[in-house]
Amino acid sequence: MDVKNPIANPLIVLREEFDDWAILFDPDTGNAFGLNPTGVFIWKLLDGKHNTDDIVSRLCEEADDVPEDAGEHARQFIASLEQQGLVGYEVIAGNPA
Amino acid sequence: MRLMRTPKKIDIDITNRCNLRCRYCYHYESAGDADGDLPVSEWLRFFEELNRLAVTEVTMAGGEPFIREDLKEIIGGIVRNRMRFQILSNGTLIDDDMADFLVSTRRCNYVQVSIDGSIPMTHDAMRGKGSFSKAMRGLMTLRRHGVHTAVRVTIHRKNVHDLDGVAKLLLEDIGLSSFGTNSAGAMGLCRKNAEMVQLTTEERTIAMETLLRLAKKYNGRINAMAGPLAEARGWWDMEEARNGGKQLTSPKRGFLTGCGCYRAGLAVRADGVITPCTMLSHIELGRINRDDLGVVWRDHEALNILRRRQEIPLTSFSFCEGCPYVNACTGNCPGLSYTLTGEVNHPSPDACLRKFLDEGGRLPDRTLL
Repeated sequence: MDVKNPIANPLIVLREEFDDWAILFDPDTGNAFGLNPTGVFIWKLLDGKHNTDDIVSRLCEEADDVPEDAGEHARQFIASLEQQGLVGYEVIAGNPA
Repeated sequence: MRLMRTPKKIDIDITNRCNLRCRYCYHYESAGDADGDLPVSEWLRFFEELNRLAVTEVTMAGGEPFIREDLKEIIGGIVRNRMRFQILSNGTLIDDDMADFLVSTRRCNYVQVSIDGSIPMTHDAMRGKGSFSKAMRGLMTLRRHGVHTAVRVTIHRKNVHDLDGVAKLLLEDIGLSSFGTNSAGAMGLCRKNAEMVQLTTEERTIAMETLLRLAKKYNGRINAMAGPLAEARGWWDMEEARNGGKQLTSPKRGFLTGCGCYRAGLAVRADGVITPCTMLSHIELGRINRDDLGVVWRDHEALNILRRRQEIPLTSFSFCEGCPYVNACTGNCPGLSYTLTGEVNHPSPDACLRKFLDEGGRLPDRTLL
């Protein structure tokens, strides 16, 4: 079965401005999207090497007091990035089922 | 005040050359007038650094940017390095091919063209014979190709009575959504030609009244960050604050808080020298491709001194002694202050409401606001 790992659109600029907050800037449209520190953490793992479960696991390892529904929130966040063209998926060929 | 980790935008004098010699040009005969345009390879290398620093926006000025034969290659570097750009131009060298290219990049925020009159006489008076028709042709070429355009009208002694005509030309005949205004400031060539160029106190009053009236007539489609229109609004705010009727909050008043451009970005001269702003080109912070821009941004002492000028109270200047507006004032542009007083950390005399009134100036009628 093929595995899909989310990968950040390489065209998008991550601007870390103040503290751990950041802006994602799309130079083609000029649109900018604000990211909170959790969003920044997730964005940096959107490298095509981690699937969503990996990312949630890393989040649980690194952050304190991660809520139980963090996984669902992370999936929704990544899905919203995909809808806006900020994230795509790298298909990794697996063994045929 | 917190500082961004890296600059967000960079203003670049992409060339020191220009096909015109406008009588009020702030660039020539200022510290920014730096000979020796950098080869394209230097700019391309620099843009890679900007990409690493997540800079998002480059403004190209000069000189006249479209005079560079390799401008497309330079813009290609901006595009490859994930940035958007704008160009400040006199408009006279823009052709179909270039306009088509700009659109194709999808990264051009706008090209700003200077139009100073509704007829050749008022525009060409300061910019040179034939420049009006060429600038208009450039502007219309950009619009025909769908390039976003902005128009800047610099107000001086020869066009101050043509502002109704300018507004009609730009907003009615051409159909721009808006245009910006400024006035010739005491920098560069303007200092040399001040008597010919700079508005007298009476003309400044007329310009303020006219622009407020036109801004109202055209529903706010005329704007200004500096010059008579901005002064009319800003000075009325100060007058109302003095009377206790208005609370002015941003920027903080009573201190040297005027203009914080060096909190959002940096500038680079045509010779590659990094400066805080194109209006402060004499403050040399380093050189591109030699000094780390991120380090310059965060740690350069001259830049940090500049950023701390906002802590200097206006009451500490003898210039402001006894001024009834001192608690409502920001001291305005440090670049203008430097050229007029030799001090960056000083209020700009050019922007002083008390001085303007003492010299016989008057605020426009309140109903025009």
